[in-house]
This record gives sequence, structure tokens and C-alpha cells, in this order.
Amino acid sequence: MKNKFGIILKKEITELFRDKKSLAMMLVIPILIPVLVIGLSALFDMQTNKEVSDYNKIGFNYELSEVEKSIATELGIEVIVNSDEELIKEYEARNLNLYVIKNENNYILNCDEDDTNAPFSLKLVNSLFAAYKEVLQRNYLTDKKINPDEVINLITVNESIRTSESENYFSSYITTYGFLFIIMAITVSATYPATDTTAGEKERGTLETLLTFPIKAKDIIIGKFLSVTLSSFITGVLSLVLLITSLSIAGEMFEIYEGVNLMLSLASIIYSLVVIVAYSFLISGVCIAVASKSSTFKEAQSALTPLNFISFFPSMIAFMIDVSSSRVLSLVPFLNFTLLFEDITAGNIDVINLVLMICSTVIIILVILSIIIKQYKSEKVLFGN
Amino acid sequence: MLEVKDLRKKFVKITKDKKKVEFYADDGISFKAEKGQVVGVLGPNGAGKTTLLRMIGGILEPTEGTVLIDNLNYRDNELEIKERIAYLSGNTKIYNTLSCYELMKMCGNIYGVSEKDLEKRIKDISKKLNMEEFLYNKIGNLSTGQTQRVNIARCLVHNPSYYILDEATSGLDIISSQVILNFIKEEKKKGKTILYSTHYMEEAENICDYVIMINKGVIIKEGTPEDIKKSTKVTNLRDAFFALIDESDGEVHEK
Repeated sequence: MKNKFGIILKKEITELFRDKKSLAMMLVIPILIPVLVIGLSALFDMQTNKEVSDYNKIGFNYELSEVEKSIATELGIEVIVNSDEELIKEYEARNLNLYVIKNENNYILNCDEDDTNAPFSLKLVNSLFAAYKEVLQRNYLTDKKINPDEVINLITVNESIRTSESENYFSSYITTYGFLFIIMAITVSATYPATDTTAGEKERGTLETLLTFPIKAKDIIIGKFLSVTLSSFITGVLSLVLLITSLSIAGEMFEIYEGVNLMLSLASIIYSLVVIVAYSFLISGVCIAVASKSSTFKEAQSALTPLNFISFFPSMIAFMIDVSSSRVLSLVPFLNFTLLFEDITAGNIDVINLVLMICSTVIIILVILSIIIKQYKSEKVLFGN
Repeated sequence: MLEVKDLRKKFVKITKDKKKVEFYADDGISFKAEKGQVVGVLGPNGAGKTTLLRMIGGILEPTEGTVLIDNLNYRDNELEIKERIAYLSGNTKIYNTLSCYELMKMCGNIYGVSEKDLEKRIKDISKKLNMEEFLYNKIGNLSTGQTQRVNIARCLVHNPSYYILDEATSGLDIISSQVILNFIKEEKKKGKTILYSTHYMEEAENICDYVIMINKGVIIKEGTPEDIKKSTKVTNLRDAFFALIDESDGEVHEK
């Protein structure tokens, strides 16, 4: 008897594309990727390129000298002079970004650690006092008939930080986050059709009808599995396209990416697609395996909720503690996809790691499918134990 | 020929004190259904009718015993048997998102009907069952009666030799029920074997050649409707049914 999974696949795809909820899960979630990329980029940009007016309101508990006033004006500092108590009150009322308490020759700069503007205000005020200190030192040395340049500039220190042309901290962060979101989108996209095609079909009573047909359990499962995989693959590809597009837009829009090439190379895109295909297959198999044990749609959804966390968890951990890919880790399901995406972001694609991931995924899928097929061969799939 | 030999199905139920107790929903059922025969399976709720028909339809696996269809058994020839039968119950659900045409086409493909024959059959069946008006409508938008007609249509697509109909008229109005009864009569004329379970005694008396009465998983009486009426000394199958059930419950109690 010829394979009939094509008939089941056609039926499943027809149902999938006619179901508004499945379509929404498949197509709407990727739309969040541009929001994530543009939103995070805007946030980074705001943090790194602040307007001086956001952090220049500095309080002093003494009248500034003419020299200090001149430097403050040059630096764009808005000087507010008041008593200690009033300065504290004004700072707590958020009318000041920082206040300076002078006690003889000791200046104390006061601000809160959790104030996001504090580092900028501190830098500004430190510049003020550094410049003021230099003026005082120069005046003192000149009075003593000593050339200040011979003393002050005994040594000079300059910064020379090498930056890569292709990436910087923000671009690496945003791209990795984008790939992590693709994994999440694929997982969510697989969950609904997997639930619908197994527990949903059982609950609606159509599975009993299907089991009266002369079809092998293997054909039923392969048809269902491929349709769920197709759904998650569409989500994955759409997410990748939107990630590339939004990275390109972000690269043009924000200063933080100046001189950085955010575009993925053709090789990176191809490798990303391989990872997306592999992950779509794996997560679809896992979702079908879990959902087919449930007898109702609701029960399956409850069972799949922990799976969502389990699938994100290794990725989040790897992302947070900066785990690097290795031969062994390429065999670990879920973790391997994140690590490969990180490698793709960094441009360090290792074909052996990719092959190991594919081998591990294929073995897991075969085991999962054989378990589900065995379950569908038995009446337990309809009537439990 | 369809032959059922000593069929048993064991289930587990939970008692009031949360203990698991095994019981037989069907306990040693044997009968034969010849070509062109309509065999009625009658019994009260919980008698074991649906379990019996599900085992014959290949949805449930018997704990013991054999189902033979044209001398083929499920263990060795599951797909061949399923190609020869059509299973339809009052609870049978079909795919709401598909149109009637798409469902019939899908079923035809599953049963291996050639594309050329399939188109002709769909046309003929939809005409016969008066489905032409809603052939391309989604099943989810149809009435209960129309849905059951679609269900019959998908059973007819592959021209099966055996029909297993489990309370196929339950919940239907008189007109929709009549469509099913007419369908049974027509298929019988064509020499098809039909197993038909129902609660409606008049229906059974009207269309069945042979009747099996089941109570608590065992056959309590079998024969032609006339034989059963004679042996219970009543004038209709309904009274015979009540008499036999009472007698059977009494025997069970005595045991």
C-alpha cells in the first residue's frame, strides 16, 4: 500500500490555513521582531547619546568663582546655588541631576546610584572640577615662576580602543536577541497547531473518524508532523526576514551603529535557515508528542506551557552567562540552536558544530516520532488507559 | 461474510471507594452477518453495543476473540479490512473546515479511488443524497441533518462491502433519519452487509433481517425479528425487547 501521508498533510495544511488562530500564531508573532529591534536600538541610542539638557542641572552650596562659572557655561552646566537642605530637597524633587557640597577644599558630588542620568552628570561635573583644578594649578605655578606645561604635562595618556568594522557591543547584543526571539516565535507557532491537530482533533471527535480509515499510524503522524513543522518554519523564515530588514533599518536610524555593518552575510543567512529548519522540526515533534498525550485542547495547552519555558531556558542561560559553542554542546537539544545563532552573529560559523546539531536533532525526532506512532497504533490514543 | 468469534473487551472502572475494578463491556459475543443481510444490534445504554461495533470497525482492540471480515483478521490485515468497511456512528464528527466536496475527495484518495472514478462518484452520490446545493459549502456551516448526509456520502465514496452503523439516526429529525434508512435499504439491495445498532425498535423491526439483543455484554437473544417476537409471545420488537431485558436482568440478579 502506498504512503498516504500526503493526503493527511494536504488535509492538515488546508485546516491550518483556514484557521484564523493558527494563522495569527504563525504570522503575527514575527511582527514583534521589528518592534523589538527598533525599540531596543532606540533605548540603547537614548542611553548612549543623551542630550546635555537631560543631566546638566547641577546644584552647588556655594557661590561659584568667575573661573568656575566660565567653565560651567562652556560645558553647558546649569548652575543652581542654594543651601544644603534646599539642594537635597530639590534633588529629591528631581529638579537637580546632581548637587555639590563644598567643605573648605573638599567637594562632595551627590547623586543616586539608580538614577540612569547620574553617570552622565558625574562625568560632566568631574570635567568641570578637572578643568578648574588645572586652572588653579597653572595659576599657582605661574605665581611661583614655573612653566605649568613642564609640570602638568609630564606624562600624557591617550585612549586607543580598537573597534571592529563589522560589529560592536550593541549590534552583537541586538542580533543575538533577535535570534533568541526567532526561537521563541517558532516555539509559540508550533504549539497551537500541534495542540489542534492532536488533542483538538481528539476533542472534536474527528480522530475517531480518521482512525476508521485505512491509513497507517505512521502516515497520520508524518502528515501531522510535517504540517506543524511547516507552520513553525513559515514563522521562522518570516521572523528571519523581518530581523534582517529591521536590523538594516536600525543600522541607518541610530548613531550607536555608526560604522557598523548590521547586515548578515549570505552564508550567515543560509546557516540561520538551516538552524531554523532543524529547530522547527524538533519543536514540532516535541509539541506533538506532548499534546497527543492529552485528551482535550485545554489539557494539551497546560501540558505545553512548561515546554515553552523548557525550550527558552537553556537559551536564556547561554545568553546570560556567555556560554560558547563546542562539539559536545552542539549535541544538546535547545541549547545548540542558541549557540549556533550566537556563532552566526559573531561570524564564527563552525560547520562541524552545525552537522552535530543536525545529527542530534534527527535522532531525537526519530525517537519522538516512533513513540507517537506507537501511541497512535493503540486505542489508548482515543480512550486513554 | 462478517464473523465475530467469542469477542471480549475488558475495561477498568473506578468504584465509589476509588478502587479499580475490571469488567467486560462485551463478554464472549459471537455471530455472523451474511452478504446482503442487515443485522440489528439492540440493547439498552451500556449494554456493550458501541464497544462491539468499535471492535468490528477496528477502533478498539479486542481483549480476546476475533473479528473476521472475508476471512481476514485485524491482526494481519488491518488496512485491507478497513478498505472494505465504512464506519458511521451518531457521534461521528467530520472536518468542519473542509467542504463536503473536499471531504469526499479526501476519503476517495485515502481509499485509493482513481481520480476519474472519484469525480463521477462524488457527482452521483451528491445527486442521490440531494447534496448538490451545499456540496462546496464548509461542513461547519451545515445543519445536523445535512452533516449526517455528508457523513453517509463519505462512507459511500469507496463503495464498501460492509457498513457498521452505530446509532446513526440518533438525534436526527424524521426526514434525516429516513434518508439513512433509505440508504440502508438501497445498500442492502446491492448485496452489502450492514451492522446496525439503534435504540429505535420500530426502525430495527422495519429494516433488520436478523437481530442480536445484548445486555450487560452478553447476547440475550438472537434471530429474525419474527422469531424473537414469536419466542417472547409479543406482537412487536419493542415489547420483546422489554421482556427480554427484564428476564435477563432477573437472571443476572439471581446469579
